[in-house]
Amino acid sequence: MASSTAGSEFLRPPSNQEFDTVCREPSHYNPLDTFQLPSGQDRHYQQQYGDMYFLRLAKLKPAVEEIAVDTWEGFSIAGENARRVERVLDVRQGELCWVAGTIYMDMPLKPNILDDLTKENYTLAPPPRPTYQDPANPESTQIMLEDESGRLRLTGSLLRNAQLCTGAIIAVLGTENANGDFEVIDIKVPDLPQQPRRWESEGVDSLQKGPSKGKIAFVSGLGITGTSSDTLALELLTDYLLGYTGNTSAEDAPPTASAITRLIIAGNSVGARMTVDANAETKKKSGPKKYGYDASAYNASPITRLDSFLAEILPSIPVTLMPGESDPANFSLPQQGIHRAMFPQARAYCAPPAAGEEKQEPGWFDSVTNPWEGDVEGWRLWGCSGQNVDDVLRYLNFADEEGNVGDGAGDVEARMRIMEAMLRWRCGVPTAPDTLWSYPFQTHDPFVMQACPHIFFAGNQPRFKTATIESDSPLKLNGADTEMTGIDDDNTSGPRVRLLSIPRFKETGELVLVDTETLEVEVVKFSTFAGQQEKQ
Amino acid sequence: MAIADYKKYLAENVLNERRTVTYRSIGRALRVHSTLAKQMLYDFHHNENNKKPNSVNATYIITGVQKTPELTSAANEAQDSFDDSNGIPPSSPYVNSSMPNQDAVTDEIAISSVLLVREEDLEDAKSTFQSIASIHVYSIQPTVLQDLNVLTDVATEMVSNHGQEDPLEYGKSWGMIQGNNVRRRTGGRPPVPAAAPAPPKTIIPAKRPIKSEEPIQPKTEPEEKAPEVEEATKREEAPASSKPTEKTAPPKQKGSIFSSFAKAKPKQKKEESATPASAVESAEPSGAEDGDASDEDEEPEELFPDSGKSAPAGTRESRKEREEKLRKMMEEEDEDEEMPDAAPSPEESKPIDEPPPKQAELKEEITVRGGRRRGRRQVMKKKTVKDEEGYLVTVEEPSWESFSEDEPAPPPKKKPAVSAPKGKPAAKPGQGNIMSFFSKK
Repeated sequence: MASSTAGSEFLRPPSNQEFDTVCREPSHYNPLDTFQLPSGQDRHYQQQYGDMYFLRLAKLKPAVEEIAVDTWEGFSIAGENARRVERVLDVRQGELCWVAGTIYMDMPLKPNILDDLTKENYTLAPPPRPTYQDPANPESTQIMLEDESGRLRLTGSLLRNAQLCTGAIIAVLGTENANGDFEVIDIKVPDLPQQPRRWESEGVDSLQKGPSKGKIAFVSGLGITGTSSDTLALELLTDYLLGYTGNTSAEDAPPTASAITRLIIAGNSVGARMTVDANAETKKKSGPKKYGYDASAYNASPITRLDSFLAEILPSIPVTLMPGESDPANFSLPQQGIHRAMFPQARAYCAPPAAGEEKQEPGWFDSVTNPWEGDVEGWRLWGCSGQNVDDVLRYLNFADEEGNVGDGAGDVEARMRIMEAMLRWRCGVPTAPDTLWSYPFQTHDPFVMQACPHIFFAGNQPRFKTATIESDSPLKLNGADTEMTGIDDDNTSGPRVRLLSIPRFKETGELVLVDTETLEVEVVKFSTFAGQQEKQ
Repeated sequence: MAIADYKKYLAENVLNERRTVTYRSIGRALRVHSTLAKQMLYDFHHNENNKKPNSVNATYIITGVQKTPELTSAANEAQDSFDDSNGIPPSSPYVNSSMPNQDAVTDEIAISSVLLVREEDLEDAKSTFQSIASIHVYSIQPTVLQDLNVLTDVATEMVSNHGQEDPLEYGKSWGMIQGNNVRRRTGGRPPVPAAAPAPPKTIIPAKRPIKSEEPIQPKTEPEEKAPEVEEATKREEAPASSKPTEKTAPPKQKGSIFSSFAKAKPKQKKEESATPASAVESAEPSGAEDGDASDEDEEPEELFPDSGKSAPAGTRESRKEREEKLRKMMEEEDEDEEMPDAAPSPEESKPIDEPPPKQAELKEEITVRGGRRRGRRQVMKKKTVKDEEGYLVTVEEPSWESFSEDEPAPPPKKKPAVSAPKGKPAAKPGQGNIMSFFSKK
């Protein structure tokens, strides 16, 4: 154990040594405004959501059909060739064919706006449910394929293992059976989109930039409540980010904080609800009615604490802040950045408000949208505060034997798979606008990924987890040469994506660091040792 | 400097006042590097306990790599099971081509820890580490901390005590990692291009206690700046007001000269005159800021406090007086030129000094609070009623309307169209919609 020598720098009387100034690696940062909603009067909520599905289908159908053609052309069973069908309603009974469309899942526990309306439940958001499946009655889940012409009910054993959710665009191969259902033999997804090269958006090659030795830090779920109970780990995090913890170059030390070029906060920075809950409010109705700011109904301390945390670290490190479910931003995706007026101290580091049309330099403190897309150190990042993963998880049958969707290892694995699935569906938030509230986009669906990110992250997950996925090499169904194609892939062959499931800091105390050169991941964990005092 | 003082400081705080001192709080208090602060705490703790055992208690930070299982293995565990599933395709052979295949490659994740430990638990905690990179004293306090969370109170207190020290300036001496490209705006917002009233700037310095240095600047700067700006105002105003069409705000009453005309108009002027200047300035610092982390140079917004309303409360009064003086001077000039023109209108032909009797009815109650002007004023309103005989009768009667700062000061009274003499049409645009008057230029 190295403890005898370790720390000798600190465990000794004060010295007269001179301290070097440590400088942080510079950050190259270029946020994209993919999810920026039009402001002010241009933002309308009267439109129908149906357009989003059609836009999505129009965008992704060519992609998935291309893959389907590659795979299924010439595919035959018992001498019958698979035929391509343009619209789902053109499928003829007993004919081997394939067709592309949008998945729609009808599930017993899925919130239904029509039900809510008939029961006049439309004032409050429905309480989140752990799953939309009815574990007691798995048959009640129906999977349908939909396009502009109509719907086709899908069936078959394959679906039991397939992970699908509403909004995914896929192509299915099979036949329509006597019941009018479509027996699925195979499924194709659009797969990863084109991935830009590193630094591509800057118009330079990675060689020109030279190696950088930075790290990008991710944290989510700070869950600041403003009480003293939640802030100790936050203090340690602050100390670490500011470099007070020490810049030892020892092998096992946490990576020196000066290498961290940027902190990305992926949602749920504020833990407690800032307004007292609805029930308490109704009880208090007896008092005189007040309008405007009511100090008794609004607890400002979480956001104040968050502000001072940001103001403390901002002098040293640039921060990208994404809102999350519990943050003071709009609820429906894409959530727009938390307004800088919420941060009287930290807003000094914001970019000045846009004056006119011209695009300006992003601020040192950047309050961005959720989901968010942007280039950091040349890498393309695509991330969400976790609502997308949480919601898709409710569609899938990951319940264990007892029927409860636990937080076990399997759950984290499922979340990873969902993230991977999203990338392969090319849709970061497939379940919006079905079960996730969303802005009714009319002209485009920003949730469709135009470019494959290098780092795909989801915040507020129960555990930390990471993985790397690669594009499917074009597989043939005969499968013999699949191994061959897998071997000779080098870095240039296809998209490689680093998936990150970022845990809630409040529960785990974990900060995730991604190396900007190798995209390798490290975790720094901040905690207190529950010693004898607390065990007593 | 502080090397000698730290023992005294610690003895006072820890032993006498029985407070908790963290390495950051002593670092801030004595303005020393964090490493030095840690050493001070260690030294004090060591010495005191040598003198008298258990007189001082400490907490430590251990950094390093912890042994895996139980404590930190959540991620690792998950990873293992995930690895297993890689080997076995979870479903039919088609899964490869259909669904997200689980070819995700997981790799070894280094998890390092930063652990806060009480003195008593130090050895226990050390034993959970596979290797230790560093240990340092986090805090010292007179007794064992029952609840480590009280340490956050120390931090809160520290922030409130030393919050005014600008981290950009002192960060280096504390051992803070320096961000080279920090961009900080020292003011609130850049000038709004439209003619909207400038937002009250006073909020910005007031709400940012971090910088003790800077609030001084904004205070002094406006003082220096004010004459300049006013000169500019004057210069621009003189030609503007010499245009004969302008009615020079018939003197309604003393209050309304400056509230309705003078106040609204110069403000407008100032924004116009200030905007180009500040635009230039705002363009410059952005370049300079990149190089210089602490951009203490004046920012565009500082011009704005000058514009009457948004000035800091202290300097406000005196400046107003000055402005009024200036305006009175101008007013007088205008009078000479404009009186003949104004003559046709009966009310307005009255000499400035004696308020016309009619104006007396129209009152204005203005409260100026926090740079905002709001209140009620009496205006003449036309009212059409049907009388007993079935005729429509239009009567003019005074009525109260409330106003606040942002509405353009309306003409103090609306006159019935009938009574408008030849001079009137000129007066109306001049007063009622002063914005449009100036935009014509």
